[in-house]
Amino acid sequence: MPQLAVNRSDLGRSLRRALAYLAAVVLGGSTLLLVILIDGQNAPAWAFLVYSGTCWLWFLAGVFAWWRRPSNGLGALLVLGGIALTLGEANSSTIVAVAAVGVVFATAILAVVVHLLHAFPSGRIRGRASRITVIAGYVVAIGMQIPLYAFNPAAEGLPVFIADRPDLVAVGDVVQEVSGTLVMIATTVILAGRLRRAKPYQRRVLIPLFGYGIVAVLYIPVSSSLLSVWFDIDPLLLALSQVVVVAGIPIAFALAVFRGGFARTGELEELATWLGTPGDRRSDLSWALASVLGDSSLELVFWVPEESRYVDSAGHQVLLPRPGTLRSSVGVELSGEPIGAIVYDSELIDDPELVRTAGRVVALGVDRERLTAALRLTEQSLRRSRERIVETADRERRRIAQDLHDGLQVQLVLLALEAQQLANELDSSAVTRIRATELRRGIDSAAAELRTLVHAVMPSSLVERGLAMATEDLMDRLPLPSSLHLGNIGSLPRTVESTAYFVVAEAVANVMKHAGASKVDVRLAKTAGTLNIEVVDNGVGGASIDRGTGIRGLLDRADVLGGSLRLDSPAGRGTNLQVQLPISQ
Amino acid sequence: MRVVIGEDEALLRRGLTLVLENAGFEVAAAAADGAQLIDLTERHLPDMVITDVRMPPTHTDEGMVAALHIAREHPAMAVVVLSQHVQRRYAVELLAEKRQGIGYLLKQRIADVETFCDDLRRICAGGAVIDPEVVAIMMARASLDDSAIGRLTTRQLEVLKLVAEGRSNGSIAAELVITEKAVVQHTSRIYDTLGLLIDDDGHRRVMAVLKYLSRSSATADG
Repeated sequence: MPQLAVNRSDLGRSLRRALAYLAAVVLGGSTLLLVILIDGQNAPAWAFLVYSGTCWLWFLAGVFAWWRRPSNGLGALLVLGGIALTLGEANSSTIVAVAAVGVVFATAILAVVVHLLHAFPSGRIRGRASRITVIAGYVVAIGMQIPLYAFNPAAEGLPVFIADRPDLVAVGDVVQEVSGTLVMIATTVILAGRLRRAKPYQRRVLIPLFGYGIVAVLYIPVSSSLLSVWFDIDPLLLALSQVVVVAGIPIAFALAVFRGGFARTGELEELATWLGTPGDRRSDLSWALASVLGDSSLELVFWVPEESRYVDSAGHQVLLPRPGTLRSSVGVELSGEPIGAIVYDSELIDDPELVRTAGRVVALGVDRERLTAALRLTEQSLRRSRERIVETADRERRRIAQDLHDGLQVQLVLLALEAQQLANELDSSAVTRIRATELRRGIDSAAAELRTLVHAVMPSSLVERGLAMATEDLMDRLPLPSSLHLGNIGSLPRTVESTAYFVVAEAVANVMKHAGASKVDVRLAKTAGTLNIEVVDNGVGGASIDRGTGIRGLLDRADVLGGSLRLDSPAGRGTNLQVQLPISQ
Repeated sequence: MRVVIGEDEALLRRGLTLVLENAGFEVAAAAADGAQLIDLTERHLPDMVITDVRMPPTHTDEGMVAALHIAREHPAMAVVVLSQHVQRRYAVELLAEKRQGIGYLLKQRIADVETFCDDLRRICAGGAVIDPEVVAIMMARASLDDSAIGRLTTRQLEVLKLVAEGRSNGSIAAELVITEKAVVQHTSRIYDTLGLLIDDDGHRRVMAVLKYLSRSSATADG
């Protein structure tokens, strides 16, 4: 895929500066906290280092994602997660004010992870159910945490401690557990719904990502309350395992985001599809937009006012996505006139205004490509129309031949029979007998002429047995040595069969008329989707498409069906004519 | 002699039936398509089947297909195929299927009632009658491709053509205005040149010549 050199704009530089300042402040604060914690000696120094490292991982992953995809909100969310983790870490401080902050935000990270799950992949929350669940997540993690420290004797001495009320702590604990469970159930249901609607290649990324996120959120409370009760596990080891689980989250999300959104995982499939598509369906402009907006599935389509429809750059008709599907579109206009539309993945790019702006920037280029696409559309409809004419002509020929076969030819047999019976009647005079027999012979020769005519319109052999026998019959009647080499041509569409027959018939007639040959060979063979016709003679050569030796007519016949013709006819060394007809239907 | 006819055009079916009945044949049944033809043949087991090549439902070669099927199933039954336009391939296929009692004729030949009915009687008696137009095509192909045929004189070629058409020595003599003895001399030289065994049986003679001609003019491969 072409990489695009994007000029760094002023806005881009400004963002990078802001992110650098943010990084400096947060990392500085976090480092300061780390120093305070190690100094407090509440736990071994390496444990604090591991915890802080996880915070930094979240934070750096967030800044990186933010910088690479400014329009995607996931980067900011990861930064928020890093800050929440850092605040939670303050819990372990021996300094009262610092520890109070840590107590308040101890479980905030769980809400951020739930938020991340709902906001993937665009960074924005979609739908009311999602929004309510995310808000509920924050309420459970921060709001419902209040009774657990305000009335807990363990928090005595901290400014957030109110009274020693174990009953309230117990109630608060149950309420938080039940609410937290409800939030996780809602999250699972909503995400399962998204999985169902996702494309198969998206699922391959979404299932592990969602699965890991949900397990991580559940692991922390469950491990704290159950594992420590059922098994005698070192609390330090337990905390370490939780930190490791939490550390995996930003890596997973950041990877998905900075790689260009999770749609990129479909890269190979998309590439394969494009390679398999005849012609260059995707224009440079479309590539540029896809690269800038970070949606590799983005398509640029063009408006053809004469036909009142959208086409892609190859001129094939495109229908815009309906509202409510996973794809959206915004129109592109030039001087107030619609000239095209950008079709994109609304999961990946949440802001239509962004796409619209991109559309305005490239409008002039779009107009140029639109004219090319319109030209291709015209070319296609012209070809289709010519094909239809050939099909109609072929059908008419077959109908005329069949009508003559069923009508006039039968009548001529019966008339001749009548005449002969007249001649054979016992009471006929000698003169009548002779004249009636003459009449019968006359009718017979009229019938013979009719046979020749019918044969020229549509040979019986072609109708009855197809191209192979018709060609054989044609060669049988040639007055010079000939050979026919038949590959396994099987059954062919009627128009291809008729066109091939008449190509051979005309080519052989040309040989008779112009080549002065003593031998002619015809080869018919089918290779993947193409019928190959070859007519070779050992005559005088020098045939040319422009020199009025009938080759022009052959070229026209082949061209109508999208076929090609090759002529090799050096003077004095025979002629080799090759025609290829695509077998489409 | 009992006959079953296959012909989809009602008028021609009636005309053919009348011709045959006037000539002393008994028309047991008449079919309008290939499947019906096989069906009626199985039911009546006639001495001879006469059929058109092209019949419903597809109007391609179902009459020919039915004729080849009958020839395989009932080797003793005479089979005659009529066609608006004759081609070598059909004659070759019939000759490959049967040793005796075959005919392949242009439909227009019906009009010459006497010749047509004579041909049918010869076929019924085990003979082979191939339309002169097809014989001409075979002769032309054979003389282009085959060096043995190329060694024959013009007069010998004329005799060979008439033999292939199934004519008797007397008829050939009358046609070429020569004596019957001269015809016999010509035919024996033709046999020598082509390497065929002399056979006094008229039917077997025609078959041998036709098979020789159809063999030497096979063009298609693959």
